[in-house]
Amino acid sequence: MTRNDTVRTRRSGARWLVPVVAALIGLAYLVAGLVAGDEVFGIGGLVLMLGLGGVLLLLSGRSETIAGLLDRRDERINKLDADASLFSGMTLVAAVLVMFVVEIARGQDGAPYYQLGALAGVSYVVALVHQRLRG
Amino acid sequence: MQNTVRSLRVQRGLSQGDLGAALAVSRQTINSIETGRYLPSLPLAMALARYFETTVEEMFDDEE
Repeated sequence: MTRNDTVRTRRSGARWLVPVVAALIGLAYLVAGLVAGDEVFGIGGLVLMLGLGGVLLLLSGRSETIAGLLDRRDERINKLDADASLFSGMTLVAAVLVMFVVEIARGQDGAPYYQLGALAGVSYVVALVHQRLRG
Repeated sequence: MQNTVRSLRVQRGLSQGDLGAALAVSRQTINSIETGRYLPSLPLAMALARYFETTVEEMFDDEE
Protein backbone atom coordinates (compact mmCIF):
# COMPACT_ATOMS: atom_id res chain seq x y z
CA MET A 1 0.00 0.00 0.00
CA THR A 2 1.65 3.19 -1.14
CA ARG A 3 0.99 6.72 -0.05
CA ASN A 4 -0.65 7.43 -3.41
CA ASP A 5 -3.14 4.62 -2.84
CA THR A 6 -4.72 6.46 -0.01
CA VAL A 7 -7.58 8.84 -0.74
CA ARG A 8 -6.66 12.06 0.96
CA THR A 9 -9.54 13.66 2.73
CA ARG A 10 -9.82 16.30 5.37
CA ARG A 11 -9.94 14.77 8.79
CA SER A 12 -9.04 17.71 11.04
CA GLY A 13 -11.01 17.77 14.27
CA ALA A 14 -14.26 16.69 12.64
CA ARG A 15 -14.66 13.85 15.16
CA TRP A 16 -15.02 16.45 17.89
CA LEU A 17 -17.44 18.73 16.08
CA VAL A 18 -20.68 17.02 17.17
CA PRO A 19 -19.64 16.64 20.85
CA VAL A 20 -18.48 20.28 20.92
CA VAL A 21 -21.79 21.46 19.41
CA ALA A 22 -23.64 19.32 21.99
CA ALA A 23 -21.61 20.96 24.75
CA LEU A 24 -22.36 24.45 23.37
CA ILE A 25 -26.10 23.65 23.26
CA GLY A 26 -25.79 22.44 26.85
CA LEU A 27 -24.19 25.75 27.82
CA ALA A 28 -27.04 27.61 26.09
CA TYR A 29 -29.52 25.55 28.16
CA LEU A 30 -27.56 26.42 31.30
CA VAL A 31 -27.61 30.15 30.52
CA ALA A 32 -31.32 30.05 29.61
CA GLY A 33 -32.12 28.16 32.80
CA LEU A 34 -30.13 30.57 34.97
CA VAL A 35 -31.68 33.63 33.29
CA ALA A 36 -35.18 32.17 33.83
CA GLY A 37 -34.37 31.22 37.41
CA ASP A 38 -34.80 27.52 36.60
CA GLU A 39 -31.47 26.06 37.71
CA VAL A 40 -32.75 22.49 37.48
CA PHE A 41 -33.50 22.93 33.76
CA GLY A 42 -30.19 24.70 33.12
CA ILE A 43 -27.95 22.23 34.93
CA GLY A 44 -30.00 19.24 33.80
CA GLY A 45 -29.81 20.39 30.19
CA LEU A 46 -26.05 20.92 30.40
CA VAL A 47 -25.46 17.49 31.96
CA LEU A 48 -27.74 15.84 29.39
CA MET A 49 -25.96 17.41 26.43
CA LEU A 50 -22.47 16.75 27.84
CA GLY A 51 -23.55 13.15 28.43
CA LEU A 52 -24.86 12.85 24.88
CA GLY A 53 -21.59 14.17 23.44
CA GLY A 54 -19.59 11.83 25.66
CA VAL A 55 -21.69 8.81 24.72
CA LEU A 56 -21.25 9.58 21.01
CA LEU A 57 -17.47 9.82 21.44
CA LEU A 58 -17.43 6.61 23.46
CA LEU A 59 -19.56 4.68 20.97
CA SER A 60 -17.50 5.94 18.02
CA GLY A 61 -14.77 3.52 19.10
CA ARG A 62 -17.22 0.61 18.90
CA SER A 63 -19.50 1.52 16.01
CA GLU A 64 -18.22 2.27 12.50
CA THR A 65 -21.51 4.01 11.71
CA ILE A 66 -21.23 6.44 14.62
CA ALA A 67 -17.52 6.99 13.92
CA GLY A 68 -18.44 7.71 10.27
CA LEU A 69 -21.17 10.14 11.32
CA LEU A 70 -18.65 11.99 13.48
CA ASP A 71 -15.75 12.26 11.02
CA ARG A 72 -17.89 12.47 7.80
CA ARG A 73 -15.36 10.77 5.52
CA ASP A 74 -17.39 7.72 4.58
CA GLU A 75 -19.62 8.51 1.58
CA ARG A 76 -22.02 5.63 2.29
CA ILE A 77 -22.61 6.75 5.87
CA ASN A 78 -22.97 10.35 4.65
CA LYS A 79 -25.65 9.13 2.23
CA LEU A 80 -27.39 7.24 5.03
CA ASP A 81 -27.29 10.44 7.07
CA ALA A 82 -28.71 12.48 4.16
CA ASP A 83 -31.53 9.96 3.63
CA ALA A 84 -32.32 9.89 7.35
CA SER A 85 -32.30 13.71 7.45
CA LEU A 86 -34.68 13.82 4.47
CA PHE A 87 -37.04 11.38 6.16
CA SER A 88 -36.86 13.32 9.42
CA GLY A 89 -37.50 16.64 7.62
CA MET A 90 -40.46 15.28 5.65
CA THR A 91 -41.94 13.81 8.84
CA LEU A 92 -41.60 17.19 10.54
CA VAL A 93 -43.19 19.04 7.60
CA ALA A 94 -46.09 16.56 7.55
CA ALA A 95 -46.60 17.03 11.30
CA VAL A 96 -46.55 20.83 10.92
CA LEU A 97 -49.14 20.69 8.13
CA VAL A 98 -51.40 18.36 10.12
CA MET A 99 -51.15 20.57 13.21
CA PHE A 100 -51.86 23.67 11.08
CA VAL A 101 -55.06 22.10 9.76
CA VAL A 102 -56.05 20.98 13.27
CA GLU A 103 -55.50 24.50 14.64
CA ILE A 104 -57.61 26.02 11.83
CA ALA A 105 -60.37 23.47 12.50
CA ARG A 106 -60.31 24.48 16.16
CA GLY A 107 -60.97 28.08 15.18
CA GLN A 108 -57.41 29.28 15.78
CA ASP A 109 -55.25 31.24 13.33
CA GLY A 110 -52.87 28.33 12.74
CA ALA A 111 -49.91 29.85 14.63
CA PRO A 112 -47.17 28.85 15.12
CA TYR A 113 -47.61 26.10 12.53
CA TYR A 114 -48.10 28.37 9.51
CA GLN A 115 -44.85 30.18 10.35
CA LEU A 116 -43.03 26.86 10.66
CA GLY A 117 -44.57 25.65 7.39
CA ALA A 118 -43.53 28.87 5.66
CA LEU A 119 -40.01 28.50 7.05
CA ALA A 120 -39.84 24.94 5.71
CA GLY A 121 -41.10 26.06 2.28
CA VAL A 122 -38.69 29.01 2.02
CA SER A 123 -35.71 26.95 3.21
CA TYR A 124 -36.60 24.27 0.61
CA VAL A 125 -36.65 26.83 -2.20
CA VAL A 126 -33.40 28.44 -1.00
CA ALA A 127 -31.71 25.03 -0.82
CA LEU A 128 -33.04 24.10 -4.25
CA VAL A 129 -31.76 27.34 -5.83
CA HIS A 130 -28.41 26.96 -4.04
CA GLN A 131 -28.00 23.38 -5.27
CA ARG A 132 -29.05 24.43 -8.79
CA LEU A 133 -26.49 27.25 -8.90
CA ARG A 134 -23.79 24.84 -7.72
CA GLY A 135 -24.56 22.78 -10.80
CA MET B 1 -24.44 -4.92 -9.36
CA GLN B 2 -21.73 -7.55 -9.84
CA ASN B 3 -18.17 -6.44 -9.21
CA THR B 4 -14.70 -7.86 -8.72
CA VAL B 5 -13.77 -5.90 -5.60
CA ARG B 6 -13.89 -8.92 -3.31
CA SER B 7 -11.72 -11.14 -5.51
CA LEU B 8 -9.17 -8.36 -6.07
CA ARG B 9 -9.01 -7.66 -2.34
CA VAL B 10 -8.61 -11.34 -1.47
CA GLN B 11 -5.90 -11.75 -4.14
CA ARG B 12 -3.92 -9.03 -2.38
CA GLY B 13 -4.45 -10.57 1.02
CA LEU B 14 -6.24 -7.53 2.36
CA SER B 15 -9.03 -7.44 4.91
CA GLN B 16 -12.08 -5.25 4.31
CA GLY B 17 -10.77 -3.02 7.09
CA ASP B 18 -7.37 -2.65 5.37
CA LEU B 19 -9.01 -1.64 2.10
CA GLY B 20 -11.42 0.69 3.87
CA ALA B 21 -8.53 2.38 5.68
CA ALA B 22 -6.65 2.83 2.39
CA LEU B 23 -9.66 4.48 0.78
CA ALA B 24 -10.88 6.40 3.84
CA VAL B 25 -14.17 4.53 4.09
CA SER B 26 -15.49 2.10 6.66
CA ARG B 27 -15.23 -1.68 6.60
CA GLN B 28 -19.03 -1.76 6.35
CA THR B 29 -18.90 0.29 3.16
CA ILE B 30 -16.39 -2.08 1.56
CA ASN B 31 -18.60 -5.01 2.56
CA SER B 32 -21.68 -3.32 1.08
CA ILE B 33 -19.85 -2.61 -2.19
CA GLU B 34 -18.60 -6.19 -2.44
CA THR B 35 -22.05 -7.64 -1.90
CA GLY B 36 -23.60 -5.22 -4.38
CA ARG B 37 -25.82 -3.55 -1.80
CA TYR B 38 -24.09 -0.19 -2.25
CA LEU B 39 -23.04 1.33 -5.55
CA PRO B 40 -20.09 3.66 -4.86
CA SER B 41 -19.85 7.18 -6.24
CA LEU B 42 -17.70 7.67 -9.33
CA PRO B 43 -14.77 9.15 -7.31
CA LEU B 44 -14.77 6.16 -4.95
CA ALA B 45 -15.14 3.69 -7.84
CA MET B 46 -12.17 5.39 -9.53
CA ALA B 47 -10.15 5.29 -6.31
CA LEU B 48 -10.87 1.56 -6.05
CA ALA B 49 -9.84 1.02 -9.67
CA ARG B 50 -6.63 3.02 -9.17
CA TYR B 51 -5.87 1.09 -6.01
CA PHE B 52 -6.22 -2.27 -7.77
CA GLU B 53 -4.58 -0.94 -10.95
CA THR B 54 -7.58 -1.79 -13.08
CA THR B 55 -10.48 0.16 -14.61
CA VAL B 56 -13.94 1.01 -13.31
CA GLU B 57 -15.45 -0.82 -16.28
CA GLU B 58 -13.58 -4.00 -15.46
CA MET B 59 -14.45 -3.81 -11.77
CA PHE B 60 -18.13 -3.02 -12.22
CA ASP B 61 -19.01 -4.86 -15.39
CA ASP B 62 -22.68 -5.84 -15.18
CA GLU B 63 -22.67 -7.88 -18.40
CA GLU B 64 -21.44 -11.22 -17.03
